[in-house]
Amino acid sequence: MGNVFTRYIDRLRGSGDAAITLPPMDGALRPNNRIEEAELLVSTEAPDNLVLHDGKVLFSSDKSLRSLTADGQVEELDATDSTIEFLTSHPSGALAIGLGAGRIEIRGGPHDGKRLLALGQTPIVAPSAAVFVDSDTLLICLASRQHAMGEWKRDLMTFGATGSVMKIDLRTEEAICIAQNLAFPSGVALKPDGGILVSESWKHRVLSIAEDGKITPVLDELPGYPSRLVPGAGNDIWMCVFAPRTQLIEFVLRENEYRKRMVAEIDPEYWIAPSLHYPNSYLEPMQGGGLKQLGELKPWAPSRSIGLVVRLDGEGTPWESLHSRADGRRHGVTSCLPTDEGLVIASKGGDAIVRAIT
Amino acid sequence: MSVEMIDGQPLVEMRSATKEYRGVPAIRNVDFRLAPGEVHALLGENGAGKSTLTKIMAGVTELTSGEMLLNGQSVSFSTPGEALENGIAMVFQETSLVPSMTVAQNLYLGEEKLFNRLRGIYIAAQQFMQSLNFDVDPWADVATLGAAKKQMVEIARAVRQQARVIIFDEPTATLTPEEKRHFFNLVKQLTRRGVAVIFISHALEEALAIADSISVLRDGELVATGPTGEFDRNSIVQAMVGRTLSEELYHSHGEDIVRRPGKKVLSVQNLSMSKVVKNNSFSVYNGQITGIFGLIGSGRTEAAKVISGVLKRDFFHGGEVRLNNKPVRYRTPRRAVKDGIVYVTEDRKIEGFFENMSIADNIHRAAQAANVSSSFFVSFSEVKEMAAEWSKKLNIKAINSNARVIELSGGNQQKVVIARALVQKPKIVIFDEPTRGVDVGAIAEIHQLINELADQGIAVVVISSYLPEIMNISDRILVSRAGRIVEEFSPEEATEERIMFAAVH
Repeated sequence: MGNVFTRYIDRLRGSGDAAITLPPMDGALRPNNRIEEAELLVSTEAPDNLVLHDGKVLFSSDKSLRSLTADGQVEELDATDSTIEFLTSHPSGALAIGLGAGRIEIRGGPHDGKRLLALGQTPIVAPSAAVFVDSDTLLICLASRQHAMGEWKRDLMTFGATGSVMKIDLRTEEAICIAQNLAFPSGVALKPDGGILVSESWKHRVLSIAEDGKITPVLDELPGYPSRLVPGAGNDIWMCVFAPRTQLIEFVLRENEYRKRMVAEIDPEYWIAPSLHYPNSYLEPMQGGGLKQLGELKPWAPSRSIGLVVRLDGEGTPWESLHSRADGRRHGVTSCLPTDEGLVIASKGGDAIVRAIT
Repeated sequence: MSVEMIDGQPLVEMRSATKEYRGVPAIRNVDFRLAPGEVHALLGENGAGKSTLTKIMAGVTELTSGEMLLNGQSVSFSTPGEALENGIAMVFQETSLVPSMTVAQNLYLGEEKLFNRLRGIYIAAQQFMQSLNFDVDPWADVATLGAAKKQMVEIARAVRQQARVIIFDEPTATLTPEEKRHFFNLVKQLTRRGVAVIFISHALEEALAIADSISVLRDGELVATGPTGEFDRNSIVQAMVGRTLSEELYHSHGEDIVRRPGKKVLSVQNLSMSKVVKNNSFSVYNGQITGIFGLIGSGRTEAAKVISGVLKRDFFHGGEVRLNNKPVRYRTPRRAVKDGIVYVTEDRKIEGFFENMSIADNIHRAAQAANVSSSFFVSFSEVKEMAAEWSKKLNIKAINSNARVIELSGGNQQKVVIARALVQKPKIVIFDEPTRGVDVGAIAEIHQLINELADQGIAVVVISSYLPEIMNISDRILVSRAGRIVEEFSPEEATEERIMFAAVH
């Protein structure tokens, strides 16, 4: 009873759970134009999954596996039957490919040709990220059991929390569930102490999973949706944030009737939901609209897409960030790769691979 | 340029002026001369004797020995009223207005007739304020005014009393740059009418810009006096403190080391309070000094007061304050203190300490409020030890820890306020104008202390309207305007122009 009363009061006051507030994008997350100003390496459709494999920079573009040469040329290496959702490489020569059709393929290395259609009893519905622990062990994020990766907006708008992190022994195909009921885990990285970092997109946080299985948030209350985690120099980790949180979207997430009708009746491209790209159609909800009244800008259509990569230290504390702001085009950054020449960034929403100086 | 005295006779002259409190000299054998129409800057560290010297002229206190001459006649005023009758008015550093009365009523206080026509008083007050170019509503209750506007009313009151000598004690400390320009114009107008102005300030650049003559006091003695042209910033500082401080004063960072942020400890999200704080958002990190610059009325102080439980945010849709990622809403400052958030006020005399209590009692009361004190009953030895410890740590200069805070100089009072905050073992310290009305020597000490807090991993927020301070002490600079944070700068990219542009546009 008390709970109902509290909820009613909170809803009336806009406080507690009903407080539609957002963490500020300041400090290390202070907006800049570093992605927007970064050197363009190649314009290509929806690039994703940058990985260094056998000395080559590989990336995916929908169903194609491609390589990026030093002179900025793109070479088509392979084409698969469904969207490539993740790529991860091991020094033994192994390349793991997660496919939207619900399988994982290993190419090269000691388990060349292996195909996984399930992880133990767990079906592969939305493989989102993976990392090799060693040549025989793979850590895999399954973002959802209900929605494929292409339906990520639906997973967010229906409060999906069916994601898991699995550890699989490639020799025996024995799978262990390390964490489950996660809200869209979409990035995984190994810590030097043997622990694991996992980004939980819909809860805007990064979790640390210790060897004993204890899960603790190391970075919480992010102003966007985190995805891939990529090791950098020293103990640093690069974290891609593929879209910003806005008060409008948080509001829609609270308004159940509106949200349900929107999900049921409208094309996802036109939802009031995060987006990977700047609007392409006038039918999409407007972004960045505002009205200057009495000398004060009143934003009424906040941006649903940005480009953001954040550098975390070994403790998971942000200390540097690269942005493409609301008025930029290199949005929807889902993948990055630190190299000697700089940070290579894949802007999936901006159809570009760029290199920023860090 | 020095102003020539008419027939060589000064308007006010002090000869071998000495004033002792309980046998301790506040000023010693001071010879001071003030010419008609002259702006005379009186400079010195806190406790140097500036206020004592001027208080004697204004009739607040009397000389122990020596002589004061007005137009060549020996005088001694036993009350401020007597001094005013003789044409000497003083605008005090701490406001002496009646908060429950309106601006107009304060302006005409003491001149009430048997039957007053209020409308006439308000119209006259409004015209008078407009003639001074002060934007203050005469109908407003003084209690509702900010510090700057209170200062304007104080100045207006002194000008209205048509004094021949007006003493301004730190008149510009609370004014915005625009308001300062108005004030300096006003001083020029006064001097053209033959009014002599004594200008006490810690802003040396202002003294150099506005004064015709400068006198410097140190430890109660006059150590330098002469036309302004004979001084520069370094020579003044050297005279004030006996050493050159210009290098160390605003470079307490050392070699411009900017601390990397620690964990986010405080997140202010879409905070709103009335029309003063509007949808304000910013974060504060451990081990870093977050500087907040803003002009008066930009909502920075009010946001800090909401965070620390002094003020309440809007009841409906007031936003959130998250401490270590948990939403908090404090109804009293005490609850904030228990969670480790302390606020060091900008208005120390009203909100900072109990002025009639001793240093020791003030510090101990603060410890009790935070339950830091070890026992339920007051242990006098603990009170004494606590006072000794903090007096030593913060270099509080007083006869002993039983001295009443009201007897201390502004800088030492501020140190007591800081001691009261730090004794509560805070995790987040919000300093609001930490060096306002504080002398250069104490500024360096307070800055050093703030840096040490950040080095210990404590999250520090410094709110200041003094650009050199904010630029040199902050690891990151936030700019507040119209109730919200509108811009953030790193120390490397911050310039006075960029910060000011963000603050006013």
